[in-house]
Amino acid sequence: MAISKTNPERLKRSRIFYGALTFFIVSIITVLLWTLNALVLPIIIGLISAYIAMPGLKWLMKHRIPKWLGILMLFGGFIFVVFILGRQVISMLPDDKEQLELRVNIQYKLYSNFQDFMNEDTSSPSKEMLLAVFGPELTPILNSIVSFISLNEDEGKKLYQLSQFTEENQYPIKPSTVKRFEELKNLGYLSTDVEEEKEGTEKKSFNAFAAAPGSSRIAALLSAISNWILTPFVFIFILFDDGEIKHTLLNLIPNRYFEMSLTTMDNADNAIGSYLRGTLTESTLVGICFIVGLMLVGFELQAAVLIGIIAGVANAIPFLGPVIGLIVGISYALIVENIDPLLPFLSSESAILGVVIVVITVQLLDNAYFGPVILGKAVNLHPLVVIIGVSGGSILFGFTGMLFAIPSIVMINVIISTVFKQLKAYYIIY
Amino acid sequence: MAKQIANKMAPLWGNIFSALNFSKQESEVDILKKIPIFQDLRKRELNIVSKILYERKYEAGEYMFETGQPGAAMFIIKEGSVQITRTSKSGEELVLANIGSGDFVGELALLDSSARSASAYVIKNTVAVAIFRSDLEKLFESNPDLGNKVMRRLATVIGLRLKATNELLINLEDEYGNQQNEP
Repeated sequence: MAISKTNPERLKRSRIFYGALTFFIVSIITVLLWTLNALVLPIIIGLISAYIAMPGLKWLMKHRIPKWLGILMLFGGFIFVVFILGRQVISMLPDDKEQLELRVNIQYKLYSNFQDFMNEDTSSPSKEMLLAVFGPELTPILNSIVSFISLNEDEGKKLYQLSQFTEENQYPIKPSTVKRFEELKNLGYLSTDVEEEKEGTEKKSFNAFAAAPGSSRIAALLSAISNWILTPFVFIFILFDDGEIKHTLLNLIPNRYFEMSLTTMDNADNAIGSYLRGTLTESTLVGICFIVGLMLVGFELQAAVLIGIIAGVANAIPFLGPVIGLIVGISYALIVENIDPLLPFLSSESAILGVVIVVITVQLLDNAYFGPVILGKAVNLHPLVVIIGVSGGSILFGFTGMLFAIPSIVMINVIISTVFKQLKAYYIIY
Repeated sequence: MAKQIANKMAPLWGNIFSALNFSKQESEVDILKKIPIFQDLRKRELNIVSKILYERKYEAGEYMFETGQPGAAMFIIKEGSVQITRTSKSGEELVLANIGSGDFVGELALLDSSARSASAYVIKNTVAVAIFRSDLEKLFESNPDLGNKVMRRLATVIGLRLKATNELLINLEDEYGNQQNEP
């Protein structure tokens, strides 16, 4: 009705202008995303953190705490959590000496478990299944996995050095580890020269930051800081925003789409906020269940917490998350020396079974209760979209890309579906 | 040609409060202060509400909103002139009211998203400020006292409109009854 009473020439010019403007803005955003992709992830994490913190800020303001103080408290809390978690994780990460010890022990345990497995009763269904799937490739597969962690000649020498008690080395590597290393060496389970070279490259890339010399380490740190410094800025500015961003955006919208645009923005904002907060709650519950479950299996508290955090964070990735939790849990069960199960029917030998039971129980709880109650059906994505999204995210940004692919797809999905719904409700499209 | 029934409907659609004409220099806080819904608010609270106002300029011939669309915002007319129209069952366009500077329209949208019961058609270039339900709800979450004051006043405004509707119905009944009783 409004169109019929408007000058058609002017309407045509407006359409051309807005079309060109939209094209221009979309092109600029695409180019910026492409060239500055290193900044995309810190910005997304800042945005997500702000969304998660928003209800907390409202709660604080409701209790008469000024906005600036509320933001300061939330920011302080955010930094505190990152600091405590970071410190905890760093303290759990082995230093050079512990790494050597750990690698020898993992390799030894893997080989001994493999030997025990191969020598056990031939009628074992799991053995038959593994042999049927991998056949003669089983040993080469194990060797290629082990070649990644096995020690080269220099590292072997270093292991011997670090096993001697000196004034500088007050806590030498245990003789049992040296004995295991020698056993592996005698059996010929050490890297060949060729493998050493390859392995060296892989390990270097695996831990490039730690291996970098002093100056380049500082450069790497500065580069990381310069990108990630954006995260707290985005977090603070989003929380401080009193609607200025929305006002600026709405000023660009023609009157005809004004009411619809704000409704769309608001619906999308609510849906994204509840999805992100729901995912955080769900992941936290999954992480806690993992920790409790693994402690019942007999894992040490530190290991249970670390695996619980990994499994909880990974749970945000549909389908793949539980597999990551399972792999990390089983890997630890494979190398753990002694466990002290709290459940009477579990033993040191059945640690893997215990982990599998924990993963299955947590997944059942998640699928039957946490997911439906906390998230509902708001984020039902087609499995194919999930798989392509997760793969695409991992190609672009590695593990973090994998982690944030689904939240990003959910945001886009919510925005598009809300826009269509509102366009119909406001009689703009059929 | 739209049929004018604005005089008959004035108690329902027109300004049932004292004349609220705004001058061009008035700030958004001054404008809010004159709107009955926000009359109980203190200056600090009016300042908070003024941050969620959106000023829009409409040209003659544009619709601010149309019948049937989901209501999301209330509009306060700063300057200009707007016709409240509705198409009758026979297809005739009826002008229910003519509103101008100081009037507000669509306050029911502050309560829920039910469909607009009439259209707001701009007949003279108009400047209006819009206030959205969703923004107001978010504001109430962090300022429950402010929310309480606004909602109480909103209930009063709606109550007055209801009383005006009753009066209108009684008048119509009298008029219709008298016509029927005439030989």
